Amino acid sequence: MTGAHVEPLLSVDVSVRYADKPPVLRDLKVELQRGEVLGLVGQSGSGKSTLAMTILGLLDKKQCHIEGAINFQGSDLLQLSERQLRALRGRTIALVLQSPLSALNPALKIRTQLKEAWRAHASGSPADCLLKIRSALQNVSLPSDDGFLRKYPSQMSVGQAQRVLIAMAILHRPGLLIADEATSALDVITQSEILSLFRELNRSTGMAILYISHDLASVAGICDRIAILHQGAIVECGTTQQIFDNPYHEYTQKLIAALPRIRSVPPASKILSASAT
Amino acid sequence: MKRHSKASTYTARSCSKALAVILCAVCFCSAALAQGGELRFCLRSEPKTFDPLKVDDDASGAIRYLTGGVLIRENRQTQQLEPELALSWKVSKDGRQISFRLRSGIFFSDGTPFSAEDVAYTIQQLMDPALHSPTGDTFRSGIGSVETKVISATQVSIRFPAPVAGLDRLFDQVAILSEHSLKKEMAVLGPFMVADYKAGSSIILRRNPYYWKTDAQGRKLPYLDSIHLDIQPNRDVELLRFKRGEIDLINSLDSEYFDKLSATSPQVVHDAGPSLDSEQLWFNQAAKSPIPGYKKNWFRSTAFRRAISEAINRDDLSRVVYHGHAQPAFGPVSPANKFWFDNNLKPQTYDPETALNTLQNDGFRIENGTLKDKDGNSVVFSIITNAGNKARERMAVLIQDDLQKIGIHVNVVTLDFPSLIERMTQTFDYEAILLGLTNVDLDPNGEMNVWLSSSENHQWNPSQKVPETTWEAEMDRLMRAQASASDPNKRKEAFDRVQEIVAEQQPFIFLINKNALSAVSTSIHGAAPVILSPQTYWNAEWLTVAGK
Amino acid sequence: MSLGQRLACAVLVLVLGASFAANWLAPAGYARQYRDATDAPPSHTHWLGTDELGRDRFARVLYGTRISLLLAPAAALLSTLLAALIGGFAGYAGGAWKRAAMAITDLFLSLPWLFLLITARALLPLNVSPVVSVVVTFLLLGVLGWSSAARVLCASASSLRSSDFVRQARAAGIHGRRLFWMHVLPNLKPVLFAQFWISIPVFILSEANLGILGLGVAEPMPSWGSLLKELEGLVSVGEEPWRLVPLILLVIVVTSFQIVISNQEEVAA
Repeated sequence: MTGAHVEPLLSVDVSVRYADKPPVLRDLKVELQRGEVLGLVGQSGSGKSTLAMTILGLLDKKQCHIEGAINFQGSDLLQLSERQLRALRGRTIALVLQSPLSALNPALKIRTQLKEAWRAHASGSPADCLLKIRSALQNVSLPSDDGFLRKYPSQMSVGQAQRVLIAMAILHRPGLLIADEATSALDVITQSEILSLFRELNRSTGMAILYISHDLASVAGICDRIAILHQGAIVECGTTQQIFDNPYHEYTQKLIAALPRIRSVPPASKILSASAT
Repeated sequence: MKRHSKASTYTARSCSKALAVILCAVCFCSAALAQGGELRFCLRSEPKTFDPLKVDDDASGAIRYLTGGVLIRENRQTQQLEPELALSWKVSKDGRQISFRLRSGIFFSDGTPFSAEDVAYTIQQLMDPALHSPTGDTFRSGIGSVETKVISATQVSIRFPAPVAGLDRLFDQVAILSEHSLKKEMAVLGPFMVADYKAGSSIILRRNPYYWKTDAQGRKLPYLDSIHLDIQPNRDVELLRFKRGEIDLINSLDSEYFDKLSATSPQVVHDAGPSLDSEQLWFNQAAKSPIPGYKKNWFRSTAFRRAISEAINRDDLSRVVYHGHAQPAFGPVSPANKFWFDNNLKPQTYDPETALNTLQNDGFRIENGTLKDKDGNSVVFSIITNAGNKARERMAVLIQDDLQKIGIHVNVVTLDFPSLIERMTQTFDYEAILLGLTNVDLDPNGEMNVWLSSSENHQWNPSQKVPETTWEAEMDRLMRAQASASDPNKRKEAFDRVQEIVAEQQPFIFLINKNALSAVSTSIHGAAPVILSPQTYWNAEWLTVAGK
Repeated sequence: MSLGQRLACAVLVLVLGASFAANWLAPAGYARQYRDATDAPPSHTHWLGTDELGRDRFARVLYGTRISLLLAPAAALLSTLLAALIGGFAGYAGGAWKRAAMAITDLFLSLPWLFLLITARALLPLNVSPVVSVVVTFLLLGVLGWSSAARVLCASASSLRSSDFVRQARAAGIHGRRLFWMHVLPNLKPVLFAQFWISIPVFILSEANLGILGLGVAEPMPSWGSLLKELEGLVSVGEEPWRLVPLILLVIVVTSFQIVISNQEEVAA
């Protein structure tokens, strides 16, 4: 069981509506504790990515209407200025997007992209920068030699690219990492590798992860808790065990029923220990 | 710039002899040939009117020349006046009145008979101020109305409110209209008549069955059945069609096309020798010009202008640029203008050393290969000419090179024509201009507007209130004197002096006279291209087509 | 470096070298008029014959190459940079910026350039040296030639703006100018290169055509433009093939440049 901290790391309570359309997120309430891995599951169009963008303040405020509050580390993100938000993005809240090959700039070398992400929040000597980049790459089990740094995204495998993205996200040791369908585009083996990487990073750095996915099965492997998003609202939220063993919402039940037939869902702790070894 | 046809000449001479010579020459060629056939050539623009009184453009002028009957014709070959519808004429001593004796038994192309009343009617129409006839304007020398008096069916006299210099020659442009014909201006007295007109495309002229002229054997003129005129502004297309044999003649060729044609078929090209057209260079002497004062001082210096003239190698201009189809020019009148050319004028020889001496005597000096004036200003000026005219651009580059030899640096600038004209006539923001004059007229009266210092077209220093130099004052006096004199020799004396002043002062530095170049297909017989317009078909009524 | 690339490099070095060695290769210069040997065919004294005024064509090609090979790419670079900045920025910034920039671009495209250039000529003094005249002309071309490329770049930048990697970069805290320079502009490179290479021959020819307005290179100085213009109305290519040398040279040089650059692109991509 998790929860019970007095003050959560992130506490979301928002409604988001694009001009003249029904709301995308309706009174969405979700909390994330420090060091926790929360899965947010919902089908396409349920508003998952909108939530990620809202938290990062990347929605175009001219085109949509946001109500409510997003409390992060004691301040309401919705009240922050663009400048303040910018200082948070990439430094304390990081994002990893779905398709690594389109999320990396095809025209830039790996080193340049990582350097840019580093320089956005740090000023230091080039040598220092390079050191941090190498260490981040090592953290995601990627080679950190000059040959690799000189590569362009198109010269890497999808898995490598995703690891680069993750390396970029953890450069500044953020308190919160938002993974938006971060493994959906990967083959099963790579997917499980990346999932273990997330878990490992969570364990070793205490970084909380908001893991957004349409795929309940992949979420099950790494999450402490799971929130089910349906038509812009959280319909059920509980520990992974609870959700799998005893889903009470109709939609959750459907999701579970739709999973490939598995005799029993292993408890999260088992997977945890497996990946740790 | 164009000196429009405004002419006057000495009193009528007997021209029958000249006519007889032509008749024989042409008959000799045509006697063996069959009548009929079609002559084809291109007009370079759409005729703006078929009304002979309103003619103001070359294409309309061509139609008028071929269809109109005139009282007096200027023979394009001999440059003499010849009687046509008039048997004879007489200009009064005061130059205000002209009397004609007309041929009888002549009919318009629709069968309407011709009489003195038609002449009177034509003149009244022509001089009607409401019509704004460009041809009529040439007769307007003073305020008042023109009186016509029909004495008999074959006798008419016309009296003008003021003397008109060269009065009889002006009648070359006056095609006589019928007073009574219902077909109005389409009833004509010339050898051809308009039979078909497709706007923008072609005009077909047919022989006028009522035309009065016959050859020595009594055969009716013209020999041709018809003339097919294509409206074709593109000179390249015109040349191509000529090469393919689709047209029979090209009226004025430039030297480049001439050489191209001559290379393949030398028998079709004709170089009739220097024409009236000239190319010249002049310096801006206008007081109101925005150019620096020290430059104005150069340009206003006779010695400077003379030196420039001496330093230009005119033989090279003719040889290199025109491939020999041009003659070095020394004065305002082309030697082709037989009567008015001043034979005492000395050719300007190319002599850079004399030029340098002339400049040094005027205070200029050479320093490190650069000519400087007495205040130490380097002599640098620009010559502008219209862009796209290859011959002028090349002449400018040759002159640039010639003047470099006496230390003068010339910048050649080509401008679009409107910009050039604006600088030349409005802003006076130029230093030197290289342009040509298209001269359609033999008589110096047509050039009054160029030589009078008060005129807008006195290009080097236009619209002077009082002549700024003594030589311009003298030119004004001489031009007025020749215009008011009726004795042609007195007129010539005055105009000779004008030519001499121009040679001494070089307000215009004349460079070359272009040769009149034309092409005539070998199937056309009787053609004798001349320098005066229309160069190739001036004797259209005598032309025949072989093998058609 | 591939063989083709090496070859192209060699060609460029050769052409550029020859043009700068013009003083030695053609000591008589481009302006000397051999008036007794006008329009001559190639001979041992005039390798490419002479032009209508008897000037050595070989010398004129060399000196013309020097002028055009330096100035046309410079002008193309200028116009491409302007297009990148204006179009790229407008597309990237979006909203009012985009509308304003596109309005300016449309205005630029619809301006009656002929009249503006005539005005430009009127403002210039008549007595400018041939070198100044040609430099000013290429500068004008560079300053004026950006607008149509800017539209293309605006559209490309617009689509880049909503791309994943820009979103990812924004989420990394990169912003504003840095985002534009590092993430948007490099991806416009293919369009920019295309624009650059198209501009060079276009500018070379435009310079020649501006001669009718009194702009462009002035006599007696040659440029590729003025040399190409001499080909107008050339009927008998077969008889005088040497007159095509400026055209052939232009094609060779532009192609060589493209080979060199495109190969680098492939390596980079």
